[in-house]
Amino acid sequence: MFYRLSGVHHTRYETARQIWPVPTDRRVVYILLALALAAPLYLPDLYLSSYVLPWLVWSAAALSLTLLMGIAGQLHFGFAAVMAIGAYSSIHLARAGVPFELALIGAGVITAVIGTLFGAAALRVKGLYLVMATLAMQYLVDWVIINVPAISGGAQATLNTPEVSFLFMPLSGTGLYYGALLWAVIVTVFVLNIKRTSFGRALVAIRDKDYAAAVIGVNPFKYKLLAFFTASFLGGISGAVLAFCYYQAVTPEQFGFNVSIQLVAMVLVGGLGSVIGAYLGAGFVLLAPMFLTNAVAYLAVWGVLPLSSSLLAHIPLMVYGLLIVGFILFEPLGLAKIYDNIRKYFLVWPFRHTQS
Amino acid sequence: MADEQGTDREKVLVCDGIRRWFGGLQALKGITIGIERGEIYGLVGPNGSGKTTLVNAITGFYPPQEGTITFNDQILNDRKPYRVAQLGIARTFQNVALFHGMSVLENILLGRHIYMKPSALSSLFYWWWAQSEEVAHRAKAEEIIDLLQLESVRDEPVDVIPLGVQKRVELARALCAEPSCLILDEPMAGMNQEEKEYMVRFILDAQEALGLTILLIEHHLDVVTAICERVLVLNNGEKIAEGPAREAMSDPAVVAAYVGKKDDAA
Ligand SMILES: Nc1ncnc2c1ncn2[C@@H]1O[C@H](COP(=O)(O)OP(=O)(O)O)[C@@H](O)[C@H]1O
Ligand SMILES: [Mg+2]
Repeated sequence: MFYRLSGVHHTRYETARQIWPVPTDRRVVYILLALALAAPLYLPDLYLSSYVLPWLVWSAAALSLTLLMGIAGQLHFGFAAVMAIGAYSSIHLARAGVPFELALIGAGVITAVIGTLFGAAALRVKGLYLVMATLAMQYLVDWVIINVPAISGGAQATLNTPEVSFLFMPLSGTGLYYGALLWAVIVTVFVLNIKRTSFGRALVAIRDKDYAAAVIGVNPFKYKLLAFFTASFLGGISGAVLAFCYYQAVTPEQFGFNVSIQLVAMVLVGGLGSVIGAYLGAGFVLLAPMFLTNAVAYLAVWGVLPLSSSLLAHIPLMVYGLLIVGFILFEPLGLAKIYDNIRKYFLVWPFRHTQS
Repeated sequence: MADEQGTDREKVLVCDGIRRWFGGLQALKGITIGIERGEIYGLVGPNGSGKTTLVNAITGFYPPQEGTITFNDQILNDRKPYRVAQLGIARTFQNVALFHGMSVLENILLGRHIYMKPSALSSLFYWWWAQSEEVAHRAKAEEIIDLLQLESVRDEPVDVIPLGVQKRVELARALCAEPSCLILDEPMAGMNQEEKEYMVRFILDAQEALGLTILLIEHHLDVVTAICERVLVLNNGEKIAEGPAREAMSDPAVVAAYVGKKDDAA
């Protein structure tokens, strides 16, 4: 079998600390990256721009949220508002003539500052109260965007993204796809690196036992704030990338409360704190309703489900909710754990024993 | 009381008239101790006598309402726990407090936190800004892993290893911070004779290798008399005896407090 650990010996800490110490994992990643880079050559435009592109950006957003919820253990039920701040800031900055690259970073910083302010307020409470505090952020941000025409873009409340170029290339056509891909790769590498450095360990420490973290010199409050800052920064830019590369015109509803819940679902279904889980979770949450709608419509046509049309419209949503609850009950580590089990199966093949 | 050799050695950790109330309950009733550089100081007493509370007062979790605590002439009273740690005081907990989402190695590496410069930015530019630091501190962690013979479980998640080994990992994490003062809260609770002997060995090795001052809370009185130079006996938040281990343990007040537990005191 090609998936082997035997014969892999690291003799330097640098190599033992690689993101993917198992050679086969590394090869899989290279192949996926090559496939992603070549995607415009073999995928129809429609698939690329309406499935793969949004999936990449939502995965980046889910990664930002999993950094906060999974790695640092701070619940956030208003992350769509974080993305909204990033989207609106970047558009207004770009419209004001700021170069797009700087507009993105500026949007990230603005979002991070606002997100951290809310975080600082929210951190005075714990658990379910933190959920309520972040929900309050969602509604406050929604309200401000809707009620301040200068932000939402006036009467129709839609704001078109201006023409921009990124690193001297106009952001259009397949450029949009590559922009989204680049952002997804950056966030992925960033989160993977956080997980293997002292910063990530400190975040996990405050998540697991904040008193034990304090006793080895970690300032719990500071690291919780840093988690809010970093996750909001990434979430803000993800919102901006979503606006520029996918929507191209933003309205407040695109970042409503239901979107925040979808983001949480992506993180939970994928597996808290897992990088691959963010991709799987985002794919699941984006695709599942589509499949379900089609499946239900198909069954209805064949007369298998003789139901009223209004109930029919709700079935996908119900199944979708059930699936999420099912995951939380039966596989709390999410899709990432299922993937991990399969990987471990091959790792020890032909033997049957895996460690966990 | 017995203080013959105590006068000429420098006092590192000094508690002066510590009082701590929990609601109406006075858990510490004016405790005064002076721990000298390089000694192993025992703290014993029946359950609920205030031993852990004293440690929590020193490490900033429950600051005393009266009295002062100084460490190397710095006042600890208003310091948050993480700032106490930065002064070089490390501790372990009576109930193992490891980070369950991490491996043994990562837990131990966290002991290096105060020497590292964790930041999101250096994580982003890992290869240029973080790798060499991570590798350098990994080497230090490996030294401690070596000292405490944890090589075989290095990559295991902490929740799958036996309790005795978990206690050793917690000691390793504390030692990794290269403290000058180490506080151990019942490091041998629930261990069998063999594990206990190993733990004593590790504590003595660590003390020698790092030149530690140790405050040891322990119920196994044989261990206390064997390795502690001096002990303090608490009962109901009060000091009932202090002095060289053997003398303090045979004090009539101590024997009375431990009645029914005497067979422990081999
Ligand atoms: N956080 C707390 N809140 C209320 N009471 C406490 C707290 N911590 C300790 N106590 C009380 O203080 C007394 C001393 O406890 P402790 O220091 O844990 O004893 P020991 O460690 O010697 O067994 C006990 O009566 C205990 O109930
Ligand atoms: Mg205790």
